[in-house]
Amino acid sequence: MTCLEVRELLPELAVGVLPARDREEVERHLRWCAGCRKEAGELGDAAATVAFALPPADLPDALRERVVRDVKGAAGAPRKPRRARAAAASALAAAIALGSLGWGAVMADRAGEFEQRAAEANRQRTQALEAFQTILANPLVPEEDLNRQTRLGRLTPTEDGLGGGMALQLLSPRILDFSLVIVNGLDPRDTDRLPYRVEFENGAGEVVRGGHIDELDAEGHAEVFRQFANRDLTGYTLVRVVDGDGVVVLEGRAGAGI
Amino acid sequence: MTDPPGPLTPEAEQELMRRLISGDEDAARALYGRFGRPVYGLGLRMLGSAGAAEELTQDVFLAAWRKGGRYDAARGRLSTWLMAIAHNLAVDRLRRETGVTRPHLVLVDEVPELPTPGEDEPLMERDAAIRALACLSIAEKQLLARAYFGGLTAREIAEADGIPLGTVKTRLRTALIKVRRANHDKERP
Repeated sequence: MTCLEVRELLPELAVGVLPARDREEVERHLRWCAGCRKEAGELGDAAATVAFALPPADLPDALRERVVRDVKGAAGAPRKPRRARAAAASALAAAIALGSLGWGAVMADRAGEFEQRAAEANRQRTQALEAFQTILANPLVPEEDLNRQTRLGRLTPTEDGLGGGMALQLLSPRILDFSLVIVNGLDPRDTDRLPYRVEFENGAGEVVRGGHIDELDAEGHAEVFRQFANRDLTGYTLVRVVDGDGVVVLEGRAGAGI
Repeated sequence: MTDPPGPLTPEAEQELMRRLISGDEDAARALYGRFGRPVYGLGLRMLGSAGAAEELTQDVFLAAWRKGGRYDAARGRLSTWLMAIAHNLAVDRLRRETGVTRPHLVLVDEVPELPTPGEDEPLMERDAAIRALACLSIAEKQLLARAYFGGLTAREIAEADGIPLGTVKTRLRTALIKVRRANHDKERP
């Protein structure tokens, strides 16, 4: 994109409504172009002015202390629990991967006993999630926080594609965010499409990589697990599995349930 | 440590963020004292419920703590940086929950004309914002509000109003440039 093209899009970027693909390109340009970056900053200031003009709202009494508690808790999270929870997350990945085998076959629609297998898959998923919440339960983290920050979603094939999958994200201010994506029923013989990559996108069109798949087993199954040491997954709910040519093969929404 | 009155210098904003990152409770209170109200107000306006606005406010300040290391006072004001975080999170929720809380009607008086007498010092930012927006026509205010609060893209606005996309883009740009010019007249200390 040229500076001229970028500047034409900056007003929409400033008010937060630039469509995802354009936004990605514009932001790439802004990384190296100081002139356009300055323009973008000033238009951003102008857009924020709109928010500051809103009539003052009555703040709930307890909100300030909740905000302070959140920040204090996040900053003061001891290192040991972080490691313990990272290990727990790995254990969860393994547990869900086991549970997913039956479910993957259902998604690929290769099993005749749909009801029975779906019920079994559901049971396994529930069990894995319960185990996960037990492991991660900690007096520092209220139960409702855990529930709110655990997002599960189902991945379905785009167009007439094969396979299916699931995505799980854990978001927490106190431990590392992580994601687990399991795919099944992709064609293992179609090696030209490798490597697949997992992407998470937020409403503003920003994309975070969730890892890549270099090979599939005979069932077309693979798992991708990633921890995010320096990344907040909040908002990154759109999940995509993209093949080596950039074609989206599976898509879903973390948090929509399965 | 108490928060000094009035707008902060870039150095003070950077220092406030440094303290926030370290988990300083006073810094969190100071940041909330300055920006809690506009952040919560934005959440209320965009998401339509007190519960959603509270959740957004908590997420915004936590995100400020997480991303604080990337804040550079030399490249922009803390208020803009924080409101951009709030706005992005709110737009993201709006798009996720389209049809549930998304406002369809935008009234002109949602971008007010005059400051309310008697507001105290922390609302100076609002006073300045209202004065800056006074340079806009009613149509320009409506356009900005539909995009900024309603999360409508230029294309969606063009289709809804039956006018060319280029016209919407030009009007949006013109409105923002006017506000930018007004902002320049009241630069930070």
